[in-house]
Amino acid sequence: MKLQTRKLLDKSFTGLNLFSAFLLISALIIVLGPIFFKGIGAFVFKGTVEYRRMIFDQFGRGNKEKIFKEIAYSQKARKFIYDNISDFEKGIIVKSYIKETKKIYKEYKEYLSSLELPNPHKNELRRKSRSLYSLFIKALESTDKEKVENILNQILSDPYRKRFDSTPMTKMFHLVTRYSEIVNQVDLSNREVYLENLIDLKDQLRTLLGPFPKDPKPILPRNQYGQTRWDRSLVKLNDVLFIEKYDYSDSSEMGQIVQYPRSEIFKGTTVEHIFSYLEDNRESILLPKTVFYWRFFTDVPLDSNIFGGIKPAILGTFYLTFGALLFSIPLGIIAAIYLTEFAKENWLIQLIRTCIGTLAGVPSIVFGLFGLAFFINTIHVSSSKSVLAGSMTLAILVLPTVIRASEEAIRTVPHTYKEASLSLGASRWRAVLTVILPAALPGILTGIIISMGRAAGETAPIIFTAAVSVGQPLKLWETLSQATPALSWNIYNLCTEHEAVDEIRHVQYGMVLTLVLLVLLINIIAIILRARINKRLIGRT
Amino acid sequence: MKKIRIHPGNLGKQLLSTGNTRTKRILSFFGHSLLFLITGVSVVSVLFIFIFIFRDALPFFKLEGFKEFFTSTKWYPSSDNPSFGALSLFFGSAIVTTGAVIVSVPLGVIAAVCLSDVLSFSLRQIMKPVIEILAAIPSVAYGFFALVIFAPLLQDSGGNLLAISSWIVCTPLILLITIIGSGLLASKISPVNSLYIRIIAALIIGIPLFTGLWFLSSHISGIQISSGTNALNVSIILGIMALPTVVSVSDDSLTAVDRSLREGSYALGATRAETLIKVVIPAAKGGIVAAVILGIMRAIGETMVVWMASGNAAKIPHPWFNFLEPIRTLTATIAGDMGEADQVTGSSRYHVLFALALCLLLFTFICNLIGEKFIKRSKKITR
Repeated sequence: MKLQTRKLLDKSFTGLNLFSAFLLISALIIVLGPIFFKGIGAFVFKGTVEYRRMIFDQFGRGNKEKIFKEIAYSQKARKFIYDNISDFEKGIIVKSYIKETKKIYKEYKEYLSSLELPNPHKNELRRKSRSLYSLFIKALESTDKEKVENILNQILSDPYRKRFDSTPMTKMFHLVTRYSEIVNQVDLSNREVYLENLIDLKDQLRTLLGPFPKDPKPILPRNQYGQTRWDRSLVKLNDVLFIEKYDYSDSSEMGQIVQYPRSEIFKGTTVEHIFSYLEDNRESILLPKTVFYWRFFTDVPLDSNIFGGIKPAILGTFYLTFGALLFSIPLGIIAAIYLTEFAKENWLIQLIRTCIGTLAGVPSIVFGLFGLAFFINTIHVSSSKSVLAGSMTLAILVLPTVIRASEEAIRTVPHTYKEASLSLGASRWRAVLTVILPAALPGILTGIIISMGRAAGETAPIIFTAAVSVGQPLKLWETLSQATPALSWNIYNLCTEHEAVDEIRHVQYGMVLTLVLLVLLINIIAIILRARINKRLIGRT
Repeated sequence: MKKIRIHPGNLGKQLLSTGNTRTKRILSFFGHSLLFLITGVSVVSVLFIFIFIFRDALPFFKLEGFKEFFTSTKWYPSSDNPSFGALSLFFGSAIVTTGAVIVSVPLGVIAAVCLSDVLSFSLRQIMKPVIEILAAIPSVAYGFFALVIFAPLLQDSGGNLLAISSWIVCTPLILLITIIGSGLLASKISPVNSLYIRIIAALIIGIPLFTGLWFLSSHISGIQISSGTNALNVSIILGIMALPTVVSVSDDSLTAVDRSLREGSYALGATRAETLIKVVIPAAKGGIVAAVILGIMRAIGETMVVWMASGNAAKIPHPWFNFLEPIRTLTATIAGDMGEADQVTGSSRYHVLFALALCLLLFTFICNLIGEKFIKRSKKITR
């Protein structure tokens, strides 16, 4: 090959290398970027008035007067919607009319029997009122507009009307007048369609704004409040304004999702106006305000993580991590000291080393099964899942890491240290304890910190030994016998098994960010610590 | 030793006492044995893991035998007439591991070469933490990324994504081929070294290759991916997860290659690329093979990512190399089924999961032994 080609080849090879390094960095950015970016959303977001109401009700935080003022203000803005809907409802849901009419008729009958009138007179009135009553019921039950209007006119222009003045029957005439107004607006033949759509609309409005003023208080917290986050509110607002329909007009392709405006369904009725009203006044209805919700870390979750924070999971992760370190540090460091300072290289030590290597290679899920089969089912450290069993399993998992890192750290201590201390008359034990260990301590610490990160992030070993999806924060002594939520497990649980996966994306992202930050922080501390040790070692030699 | 630990104040006196050597020797012996026992914990752990997994796996093979387990693809452990054909699970694990190797090994080895020989010291100080952070990110975070971010992306614009990535992968390769090929071609066409001839030669080779790539990518971009949770998704994520292992182990073995080898090669007039390809990498071959094996172990043992993002369909895709279909792996099956199987402790349904774990354990154990052997051998060569 020509020299020039070889040079070019060399350069392009370098280029390829740099490109791979670039890919590596971009992989890191691609994975961490969205997690960071969206994870922040769990902490800093625009909270609506519903959010402040929820925080005040459930956690007792916030300025009471201010919140009540805000609630009153937003209720005022919402009144238009509620009024319009309840007006419309009356035309659609005739049940209430029928009920009321029956009540009035009964009342009138009682009134009539209490009157002191001659019997034929009474009978005539009774007959007339009954015929009016049955006519009105007929009108209410009918969906034929013309017929209904005829009947209503017939009732209103009844010659007997005067005779019912100042009796309970006047109420019925009132009802009839009101109903005839509604009939003018609403297409009665579509009543069933309207009813169906109205129920759907009301449900959508409930998820957006919380329960209607006259609703009984729902049991689940998630139904007691509307959307607490502005970004979710906008999604839900869109659900209120549009219906997703599939368009199959192009038969050659799959059905396309089309956003069909809901106002079209209610065209010509009073409800039609609420859609544009809702869109124009969304800010005064929901009053979004930027909040910094740092208490996400310290709040307990409500209603399976739909509201509140992730305290139990964070606490559980801490318990598990420190429990694992509690078991693995002494074992690991002593093993490392033995392997580096006391052991002679023979087949036994070779076996131990192979075993440590094997242990490091065992898949984490197998550790989980082992923990279940050994710690829980065989030696019964606890009757079922517990933090203790999980910590022990994790301890075995990180043991090789601790041993290897400590070994490495002890090996990097210069021989001269040991030799000097031995020459001063110290025994081997003393040299190890007072000279080598202190010198190796930062390195050992680095190893411990790295294994801490590993233990905090592991999921598979704790699935069968320690983790539950829902739970309260544990007290220290409860860790001996009780299972706990943990960040890693709850991330899995929330984004696969939760009943409202899409609703709580922000919680999932927040949880992932918390875990990633925790692990990264731990690792960055380790990296900095190691850099300082390296500097010191370089300075020494 | 126990005595010493109880009275730390006496430590020095006891250890340094010159008079009573016998006590000292006995103490030292006890100390030694205690340390040895504690060190033995890891051996005991490994032994116990094997014993307990084996103990719980044995009843399954006694009850159901071997044949169905290893040859059938019918995996219906919870039906009334259960069948435990784990072949599709083995296949699922194999296909995602292969995918992860395809992603991570070329990239990882080249990146390791870059780390050990190309980058300057200060840049290396930046790259090392990047790799460490990639290794440190918890697997469940990767799983979350695969399920919540990557899977919808694949499902919505999978074809375009694949086309773009084919460009990213193929462009450097094609450029490399063009450069080598044009050099060879130009030297054949005319003995005189002329820039024009070289450019023409480069065009002759480069243009067909790039049009080929263009056709390929436009073909790929038409692919519709019906489900974002599939073998491809998992393979890519597992590849990224295995990258740090591959990079750091190969980097170790590359840096362990003695300087004298490199210097000898340079002295003979080789360029850096030639030195690396012909001298350094062959010398570090054992370490690189070990890195690949460790990467495989990492990928096959990974649970959370495959459980969350592989689709968990226990079947062999059709055709078998179709990466765009959901699969189910050994680890995901263990994790997913244990929750229900735990209620029926003692049944085949419970023990079959241990049988799966035993297979996994044996595989990683053998891999580990082979890997260690390679590392040892490479150490012998390079030192």
